[in-house]
Amino acid sequence: MARVHLDDVTKRYEDIIAVNEMNLEIRDGEFVCLVGPSGCGKSTTMETIAGLTKPTEGTVTIGETDVTDLPPKDRGVSMVFQNIALFPHMDVYDNISFGLRLRKFDKDEIDRRVQEASDVVQLEGMLDREPNELSGGQQQRVAIARAIVRKPDVFLMDEPLANLDAKLRVHMRTELQRLHKQLDTTIIYVTHDQAEAMTMSDRIAVINAGELQQIDPPLVCYNEPANRFVAGFIGSPSMNFVEGDLTGDGLTTDHFDLEFDSDALETVADDITMGVRPEDIYLEHEADSTTSASETVEARTDVLEPMGDEIFVYLSLDGASSELMTSDEASAASNQLLMSVDPDTEIDANESVSIVLDRSKIHLFETASGEAIAHGIAALSDGMSTASVAPEADSGGQHE
Amino acid sequence: MGTEPDPAQTADDEMGPLERWTHGVVNDQEKRNRLYKALFYVAAAFFLVTTLFPFYWLLVLALTPSVRQADWNVSIPLLGEVPFPTPQGFNVHAFVEVFQQVPFHLYVFNSFVLATTTTIIVLLLASLAGYVFGRLEFPGRGLMMLAILAVSYFPPAAFLIPLFDAFLGNAVVVPFLGIELFEPPRLVNTPGSMIMPFSALFLPLSIFILTTFYAQIPDGLEDAARVEGTTRLGALFRVIMPLSAPGVATAAVLTFIAVYNEYFFSSIMALNNQPEQWSPLVGGILSYQTQYTTDFNLMAAASIVGVLPMLIIVVVAQEKIVSGLTEGALKE
Repeated sequence: MARVHLDDVTKRYEDIIAVNEMNLEIRDGEFVCLVGPSGCGKSTTMETIAGLTKPTEGTVTIGETDVTDLPPKDRGVSMVFQNIALFPHMDVYDNISFGLRLRKFDKDEIDRRVQEASDVVQLEGMLDREPNELSGGQQQRVAIARAIVRKPDVFLMDEPLANLDAKLRVHMRTELQRLHKQLDTTIIYVTHDQAEAMTMSDRIAVINAGELQQIDPPLVCYNEPANRFVAGFIGSPSMNFVEGDLTGDGLTTDHFDLEFDSDALETVADDITMGVRPEDIYLEHEADSTTSASETVEARTDVLEPMGDEIFVYLSLDGASSELMTSDEASAASNQLLMSVDPDTEIDANESVSIVLDRSKIHLFETASGEAIAHGIAALSDGMSTASVAPEADSGGQHE
Repeated sequence: MGTEPDPAQTADDEMGPLERWTHGVVNDQEKRNRLYKALFYVAAAFFLVTTLFPFYWLLVLALTPSVRQADWNVSIPLLGEVPFPTPQGFNVHAFVEVFQQVPFHLYVFNSFVLATTTTIIVLLLASLAGYVFGRLEFPGRGLMMLAILAVSYFPPAAFLIPLFDAFLGNAVVVPFLGIELFEPPRLVNTPGSMIMPFSALFLPLSIFILTTFYAQIPDGLEDAARVEGTTRLGALFRVIMPLSAPGVATAAVLTFIAVYNEYFFSSIMALNNQPEQWSPLVGGILSYQTQYTTDFNLMAAASIVGVLPMLIIVVVAQEKIVSGLTEGALKE
């Protein structure tokens, strides 16, 4: 068990910067997910912690030791890989005991530890099998057993569930959480699947373009995203964004206005992007549940996506039926909103509807920088000072 | 007829026998398969005859006492007398005489030691080089590979005279300038004078084989080994090399056979054709030839004896290669 500390870690390849001045403080025994889109530098960050890649600048500290120049084997870390990476020429027992044998543990100790580790991941009776005789889930368990058998200080997982089928992935997710409780080890988990990140981690580190965007508990990332990227990345389907201008008494967009006391905002920017999640948009006549409904917005339904437990409704604000877009594109386009409604709602494609937004769930971002200005404008309009105004987050910096 | 003639309708009697046969092969799957099968057997038989006939000849030569070796003619009906080697006796004693006349086992031992040592050196160095070329990115990699390729095409004879000069213990001198670099030890008549040039000559081929094999091992496996506790070198020998067993076996067998059969360099580096001076197997075989006599039966018997260890090794290695290929299916 140990804390992990990255101090100004930068990894530069010939022409690209994979990781840019990453500062990360991971506490002892914490389960932290590094999430971000493909190629954002999360795997490179992981590799610098493991020692497989040497950072161009900055230091990595595990426990109290500066491990920046230590080879992977001397760092007290173990790792589970996306492609599982079991040694195909060894049976399960030899795979699990590989690290112990290299460290010249005596036979009985190895036996005992392998038995213990295989019990934890429920691999009884498979120790003499070859890796290629196992199913994907079993292979992944062997890989996890191989990682825990050495009792590492830090447990690194690089998208360990990415190659498993959907059902197994959900199952392994809960097993990993159980494992974390059982082992009480620091776990750093890389994934591009925000559902995994939301469900498993103590804190999520959102990374984009090699820079740390926010590191906070999952619900904080969800409810109070530090910037527009985090807001769009966390949550599925993703948040709707509408660009507008800040006026004296609120926000004006091309299609609707929102009234609030804009003087309460700590910003000098005029170009503001409003963000609201699909589940925080309501049909006007069903909006009783919301305590602070916004001004009514007229819209036209475009495409319906019944999901079973809810229906996603694509709303066109300018009335024109736009060409089909994916949900991500729709939520990013200023003249479209994505709304989720109850499955028993009576709604048809191509009809006019009046919708309201939940004022307490509206986020405001500076359009230019993407930084969050306020989360919830309900309090602002009441002139109360309790509005949850986002602290001035310095870009890429640590935010707790 | 105004309509196009149906090819199937074309009367059989209009076609010649060859045309009918080709027509059948082209249109009939059954006939085509029969043809393929026949062609396969012809090719296989040709290959077997060309490779096995020399062995047959060696066996016949070895078993026939030398006094009777003039009479090889076989009478075949129609062709008459045709020269063809057939056993003219059963002189198993030749295989014993091989060792009585010349210490042949020492020559075999020499070649075996030379081949084994060279193979080990080549595998070790080629593994390191293969790892670097196959798994690391660095500027100038292509150029260096090209240089190795170029060197591998140098004729070995080009190295012979300078190497012989140096191995005799003469000082190595920079050409034209006359600057003496160093005085090498006298290596002629020792295995060193043969193993060094063999290793250098056979290294490029092994480097190429191992580079391609090592490059195919997924990065994740090496990373896993390193995180688990090996160095890069440890990962090479514990994970990458075992997983490339077919490639390693191929490189080893090729190197071993080449050195085991080698005569050109070793006949010159061993100043006399004596087993004490590390003269190789082929030297041993040639030593049955004296100024006045040539014991063909002994030479043939010696050749067979010399081939045996090779045969055993290839059979064993082949099993490894086949098992490596079938088990292989490298899944990460």
